[in-house]
Amino acid sequence: MTEPIVRYNQVSKYFGDLQVLNKIDFDIMPGEKVALIGPSGSGKTTFARLLMTLESLSSGTIQVDGQYLWHEEKDGKLVKASSKHLREVRQNIGMVFQHFHLFPHMTVLENVMEAQVTVKKTPEKEAEKISKDMLDKVGLLEKADVYPAQLSGGQKQRVAIARALVMKPKVMIFDEPTSALDPELVGEVLEIIKEIADEGEMAMLLITHEMDFALEVADRIAFFDGGKIVEQGSPEQMINNPETPRLNEFLSRFNATNSL
Amino acid sequence: MFDFQYAIEIFPTILSALRITISATIVGFILAFVLGLVLAMLSRTKVKTIATITNGVIKFIRNTPLLVQLYFIFYVFPSFGLTLSPFVAGVLGLGIHYSTYLSEVFRSGIDAVPVGQWEVGKALNFTQKQTWTRIILPQAVPPIVPVIGNYFITMFKETPLLSAITLVEILQQAKILGANSFSYVEPITIVGILFFVLSYPASLLIKQLENKLNKKYQV
Repeated sequence: MTEPIVRYNQVSKYFGDLQVLNKIDFDIMPGEKVALIGPSGSGKTTFARLLMTLESLSSGTIQVDGQYLWHEEKDGKLVKASSKHLREVRQNIGMVFQHFHLFPHMTVLENVMEAQVTVKKTPEKEAEKISKDMLDKVGLLEKADVYPAQLSGGQKQRVAIARALVMKPKVMIFDEPTSALDPELVGEVLEIIKEIADEGEMAMLLITHEMDFALEVADRIAFFDGGKIVEQGSPEQMINNPETPRLNEFLSRFNATNSL
Repeated sequence: MFDFQYAIEIFPTILSALRITISATIVGFILAFVLGLVLAMLSRTKVKTIATITNGVIKFIRNTPLLVQLYFIFYVFPSFGLTLSPFVAGVLGLGIHYSTYLSEVFRSGIDAVPVGQWEVGKALNFTQKQTWTRIILPQAVPPIVPVIGNYFITMFKETPLLSAITLVEILQQAKILGANSFSYVEPITIVGILFFVLSYPASLLIKQLENKLNKKYQV
């Protein structure tokens, strides 16, 4: 049996007194595409940010490819991870943000090359080739020498996707990748994500409000509510036969807005 | 009243002291720049005690007069066994004093960089140092260059304070000349004009730089 690439074990997260995640157990298999849905404030974004180490754990453990992310084993005991250990495990994870966060002081090509050269120490020539191939793939090779400020939102997000992909993570988080885009630009970004998903080998954690898209891309959907995963299953099962009243309610609200 | 003959006669002597004024400004500024950046970074660390101590030091230095600090470095340090030349003491005082102002400027520049840039640094697995040098500072510094430039001019105009610790910069030179001839009008006037002639074009240059940067960063 294959081991999960990501394993959440009894993960809780508090912001002050507010509990946003409540003892969550969750596995992601290698290459698996998981969509996280749920109302805002349900904890799905925090859930993903813990994996990217953008928030720290309150309790529980997360393992990536068999290694503890936030902890390391010393003399048979789990202790807080050193920053060296954290970085070593973190290189398996990549993330695409809602607001792109491109480097405004670098050209498109430099944006994609930067981490390869600085972090991975890839020789510049090689990094340039990899980056250009990736830009070609997301359809933006002709924009290689412009600055992010001159791009549309959809183009920015495609560059951000290219920048994350060249680092070859085993798990990629997409945090509402189309929520900040004008409606007419959503399609081009979803298309790229779909393409990447079809290639298969990279696991994906997709936080989205695009229900049709989740249906199309995901192997499994997890529904978050009140800091817990209330229900999960295959997309067909979730949409057609929601078991819990909360999911039913959530989905009907979506259908209502979609039919407007 | 104003003796032009005498003014022309003493002008080269005053001008020769300008070298000291300018080198004190430049060395002091470099010190203020580097130390200011370090203070700005320390005041933002997550280690609370370090941040608190740094902020305390900044507040203390900003709320005591530069002249007192200069006296302290030059006249009090020797009683602790540290005797410094007027130039070194002056540059040290000037640099440390203005580093606390520059740290505030750096901090505003750093704070203006969106949080997302730090997050993407983590997502792409940059080290803390790489995040600073490759992502944050290249975005934080250009917008504050004009303010930093203005502090450079301010520091230049503050150098006459160093005459108080016997450094022979242009004001001190002028005072010496005045004391010898009992005529202060010419030397002091020359000093004033020299400062203006250097400061004003410099401020125009900074204005121009500001316009250029604004253009570049608001595309």
